[in-house]
Amino acid sequence: MLDGILTGLGTAVMPFNLMMVVVGCFAGTFIGMLPGLGPISAVALMIPITYGLDPSSGIILMAGVYYGAVFGGSTSSILINAPGCASTVVTAFDGYPLAQQNKAGKALALAAYSSFCGGTIGAIILLFAAPALASVSLSFQSADYFALMLLGLTAVAAFSGKGQVLKALIMTVFGLMIATVGTDVMSGTTRYTFGAVDLIDGVSFLLLAMATFALAEVVMTVLRGQHKEAEPEMNMAALGSMKLSRDEVKEVAPTMARSSVFGFLVGVLPGAGATIASFLAYGLERNLASAKEKLKFGKGALRGLAAPESANNAASTGSFVPLLTLGIPGSGTTAIMLGALIAYGIQPGPRLFVDNPDVFWSVIISMYFGNLVLLILNLPLIPYISRLLVIPRPILIPLILFFSITGVYLVSFNSFDIQMMVVITVIAIFLKLLEFPMAPMLLGFILGGIMEKNLSRSLTLSDGSFSFLWDRPLTLGITVIAVLLLVLPMLRSLISARRTAGPEVAVSEGEG
Amino acid sequence: MFLSKDQIGALVFLTLSLVYGYYAGQISMLPGDEFEPFNARSLPTALAALGGLFSFLLLIGSSLSPVRREQGVQLKGYDFALVAKLLVLIVLFGLALKWIGFLLSTFLFLIGGYWLLGERRPKTLLLASLPFALVIWFVLAQLLDIYLAPGALFTLLSVGG
Repeated sequence: MLDGILTGLGTAVMPFNLMMVVVGCFAGTFIGMLPGLGPISAVALMIPITYGLDPSSGIILMAGVYYGAVFGGSTSSILINAPGCASTVVTAFDGYPLAQQNKAGKALALAAYSSFCGGTIGAIILLFAAPALASVSLSFQSADYFALMLLGLTAVAAFSGKGQVLKALIMTVFGLMIATVGTDVMSGTTRYTFGAVDLIDGVSFLLLAMATFALAEVVMTVLRGQHKEAEPEMNMAALGSMKLSRDEVKEVAPTMARSSVFGFLVGVLPGAGATIASFLAYGLERNLASAKEKLKFGKGALRGLAAPESANNAASTGSFVPLLTLGIPGSGTTAIMLGALIAYGIQPGPRLFVDNPDVFWSVIISMYFGNLVLLILNLPLIPYISRLLVIPRPILIPLILFFSITGVYLVSFNSFDIQMMVVITVIAIFLKLLEFPMAPMLLGFILGGIMEKNLSRSLTLSDGSFSFLWDRPLTLGITVIAVLLLVLPMLRSLISARRTAGPEVAVSEGEG
Repeated sequence: MFLSKDQIGALVFLTLSLVYGYYAGQISMLPGDEFEPFNARSLPTALAALGGLFSFLLLIGSSLSPVRREQGVQLKGYDFALVAKLLVLIVLFGLALKWIGFLLSTFLFLIGGYWLLGERRPKTLLLASLPFALVIWFVLAQLLDIYLAPGALFTLLSVGG
């Protein structure tokens, strides 16, 4: 393990990779600040750039962007009460009231310290948990992998929120359907190409990710008329001091510690993500507070800001555990990273730890560097980065559209891909209007190919019998959890559909 | 007849699953593959069945729930015309890339985009597009050494001339 850590450290401290962390954090912070664009869009926009890099540098850049985007989302939550992404919605609960009390500087600093604490604790646990889990999962066979993929897909649906479970499942199946387009790698026959030569290689992951998470998100802001909104006016002089007093540190330190551990654990669960972690941590902290302190929540409580910020960063780190060790993404953003790794020819999962220790460890170590960069460089530069927000929307939107389109075009140099992106964007907008979540579709699409391969292998080995699902206790265990995750929410959903009389609140798709 | 968001979505996916399932049966297979425990049709057939089942359950669920039954699609306040124009602009950009090359199409796409979103000042339109297009072209073609085709139109003209 020490060898691996040293290899990872060696890779992560290479000047180019350090630069990737810094660039990623800055780019992520900026994109994350833009309302409507969250970590998924930020990471999706980076994919074309990473194609020209080696796998470690590419993933390091994406991890930096991920952290940066979560931090950027917090900044816009605090400064203008417009969360850049779902995982920082809770940050605005107490962060924005603090900014209104002319304590924006303090709120931003606290958010950065909390994120740093969450990221640090998360990275430390990851350092020990990931290799342990990876070494256990080395004994996995194709049947276990198939069961794991099943678990990953059902978990995303199960955690998608009340009233959304069936929709998430449908979207997962839709993603799996898209994955079947093209040449079947096992038999060599073409499926669902309808004679189109451009579809023989299937739908490109990059194209699908960019169309659904970059292009569609930007077009949605135009559809909602958000491009007409005036650029936020921020009085940088009113940020106030960024220092925390000793008493304040004492007050928030335990909160940061417990929310970080809690956030990490929630983040590890496939499908749950930073959004759920931040909401739960906020609720937990409020429950733990005394009656007098409880009243402060929502009006600028420091604990109310520290809890979700520590939790969402720790959860972001936690979501790398299933990605790096099992090859199952814990969130929409890590799903995109999984797709990028597969495009590099690297198969995330237990073998990653053995076959590509440089990628495995450098990602973990870079995460820590990412947190340091956010604290040391981004925080003092926030007043300057947030000035970028005043670029008029009519100028900013076409530029983002341009980057999304050319990002795909410059990889394939095929203008058919641009037309295809438009078609997928139209479908994505239609589905978004019907409130269908997008992340499960991408997850289904990414896992589809590997899942089919493992299912085929398992069925061939067991001579066509599905008994491979219960022959080994490990496979049985995973299958049972997957089935429970699938059946219970559907039953609950059907029962509540019969009983309900009050309004149902559908939580929008997770962290993204 | 009034249809809620969930009902529309369920019907769309139910239809998709049926069509997908029909074409699953049309997938050509190698001789003898039909006797294999797993072939090119297996997963598509299973997905069509699952898609159909989930959409059917959503349809039933949303029809039973009095609240969700009332949640129709609210299209008020959405600027569909502008989005359609932007998407057409993207399609034209894709075609332009082939015919007039990267630099010129980028320049025109950005001007078109700014114009559609309400920017009318000629100076801003020019300053926010031409230098940007030139810098991007320079970075890609000169620094990163990526070959950007000059555009079929220019090639044709130079060959013709």
